[in-house]
Amino acid sequence: MPRWLFLIAALAAACGARPDVLTFSGSVLGAEGAIVRRQIDRFADARPDLTIEIRPTPDSADQRHLLYVQWLNAWAPDPDVLQLDVIWTAEFAAAGWIRSLEEHAVDRGDFFEVPLAANGWNGQLYAIPWFVDVGMLYWRTDLMTEAPATYDALAAVARRAREQGQVANGFVWQGAPYEGLVTVFLEHLAGFGGRVLDEDGRVAVDSPAGVRALTYMRDAIDEGIVPRAVLTWQEEPSRFAFQNGHAAFLRNWPYAAALMNDPADSAVAGRFAVAPMPRGEGGRPAAALGGAQLAINARSRQPDAAWQLIEYLTAPEQMLERAEVAGQFPARRSVYDDARLAAALAVAPADARRIIEHAVARPATPVYTQISGILQVHLHRALTHQEPPAEALARAAAAMRAILAQSGLRRGAP
Amino acid sequence: MTRSTRDARLAWLLMAPALALLVLVAAGPVAAAFRESLHASDLRMPWLGRPFVGGANYVAAAADERFRAALAHTVAFTAASVALELIFGLALALALHGLTRGRALARVVVLLPWALPTVVAALVWRFMFESPGGVVHALPGPDLDWLSHPLRAWVPIVLGDVWKTTPFVALLLLAGLQGIDPALYEAARLDGASAWRRLVHITLPLLRPALLVALVFRALDAFRVFDLVFVLTGGGPGTSTEVVSTYAFRTLMQDLRFGYGSALSVLIFAISFVVALVCVRALGSAAPDARQRSRRLRRVA
Repeated sequence: MPRWLFLIAALAAACGARPDVLTFSGSVLGAEGAIVRRQIDRFADARPDLTIEIRPTPDSADQRHLLYVQWLNAWAPDPDVLQLDVIWTAEFAAAGWIRSLEEHAVDRGDFFEVPLAANGWNGQLYAIPWFVDVGMLYWRTDLMTEAPATYDALAAVARRAREQGQVANGFVWQGAPYEGLVTVFLEHLAGFGGRVLDEDGRVAVDSPAGVRALTYMRDAIDEGIVPRAVLTWQEEPSRFAFQNGHAAFLRNWPYAAALMNDPADSAVAGRFAVAPMPRGEGGRPAAALGGAQLAINARSRQPDAAWQLIEYLTAPEQMLERAEVAGQFPARRSVYDDARLAAALAVAPADARRIIEHAVARPATPVYTQISGILQVHLHRALTHQEPPAEALARAAAAMRAILAQSGLRRGAP
Repeated sequence: MTRSTRDARLAWLLMAPALALLVLVAAGPVAAAFRESLHASDLRMPWLGRPFVGGANYVAAAADERFRAALAHTVAFTAASVALELIFGLALALALHGLTRGRALARVVVLLPWALPTVVAALVWRFMFESPGGVVHALPGPDLDWLSHPLRAWVPIVLGDVWKTTPFVALLLLAGLQGIDPALYEAARLDGASAWRRLVHITLPLLRPALLVALVFRALDAFRVFDLVFVLTGGGPGTSTEVVSTYAFRTLMQDLRFGYGSALSVLIFAISFVVALVCVRALGSAAPDARQRSRRLRRVA
């Protein structure tokens, strides 16, 4: 090979990952992008020794995940700081793709417990919660005086509101066969006292509580309290139904609150509030946990600078500013005591905090996506009467056990 | 060196760049996928490594109920939609052929659905069949849920495919119709053959090559259906509209099971390849030669 070719190759390699550049990758669209750029610029101003680059990644979770896996699997040293979905932490940690953060002093008491625990793997912390998403019950303040505490009470209110012609639908949620359906099921499941995996990582979804939860969901559709159309809905169609005044209850994430409070677009602006999801027999109110975390690439060439950036972005001041600009729920308890948060969020901080305290995480396992895929299929079959609930959960559990056995994962560690 | 070997050598030389490109973009990736399919390779479980497992992924695919169901769905979808497309395409071609004025305009109008990207068309079909709000709910008759019913969910998928690709079939058949000697029809008409007899005894036999071309193109295309299913139902409800392409996509791109997903892709490729081979051979033996043609002329006359 001629010498100039070598030179070009060396130059190209050097451009791929310059050791003096710290790279951050995450959501950079809209308000989220504006706030992350502003905060990173501020951090960079204080650190003239560092050059920081933002590497935009697709906003679709599946696409970003695929991209990350390709980079990390190839042992790329960049991006240094990664914005992770809460269900990826275990997977990336087990694969050895992100650094343990145990060496750093983290103010654990200030973070909500469940998001912090969801970022652990094998007893070590691998990512810092940045903002939290939780499934919430939106209820119409003009149709009832308080949010129902139980699923039976919710059904009764929904039935009455439909009979009196106040709304066409009682309760709307996300029932298309995708990740959202799993989060809705998780809330019903915990509400009836069940869980997907037990403390030892064994499959427990086919318990009597699981069957009761799934049967309740199916029967609510059959009775008409929940419209059959939800079986094709993701977040937005369910929000439109509630926002146009067609439903008494909506299960959705916090983003919907600000949009539905805009009188220009919403028929229910100022006429709804949020509460934790109800509980069934033998369970407790539960909010499926979503949201973003920050982690460090295990092959980063500058893990110290990466940690400093994470520390900066997850500090209370930055979380508050993020809530003001993007409306996302801070992951630190102390921010909820700040009076400025009430002005920033579309819901009362006390309500938000109460719901976050009820958060339940999806199973922290490296094979989560397969487990979720199996659940999506069998849940949807049960809701469309292709399998009875007990059979659907038994089959899902068998398939999940097979995946876990194949993964070679014993309790905790691979 | 004789002239013909020199010519042959030149021909190979001229084809070489195209062949090299074909190897690079077609044969290479297929070979790489085949090699990957012989390994247990799961990007989500890197600690398991990437051991060679021989045909284990293929054995697993053969036993995979979900894959077998997806295969059955795909075959049923292909049969149903291609049959409808050939029937409607033929009717459309005959109508276009009979036009005496405005033929060019009619052809452009007919082609419009074909020109629309499938994803866009699929979204429109989804809006039409969505509940509530979809226009099909305004039709008289019982108000049904379409996309969340295991069988009815196929209706918008097949309709979407038929609507979009019938124009393509029609144009192919129209070209075939224009190649038929009008003298045949005149002779038949003089002898008092009805329109139906003319269709069955002249048009259809002479249109056979064009029909076969349309069948091959459409069957291969329909077998690889992806976007319509992905947008309209996502394979649901449950997996009742899942086809092989959406299943392979899910296995590869969401579950990141590269070994098993590659095996599925290789199987899909092998099946379409065999179908294509069979069709091409059938096509080769189908072209009516001059002798047949004159015989038919005599028979009709």
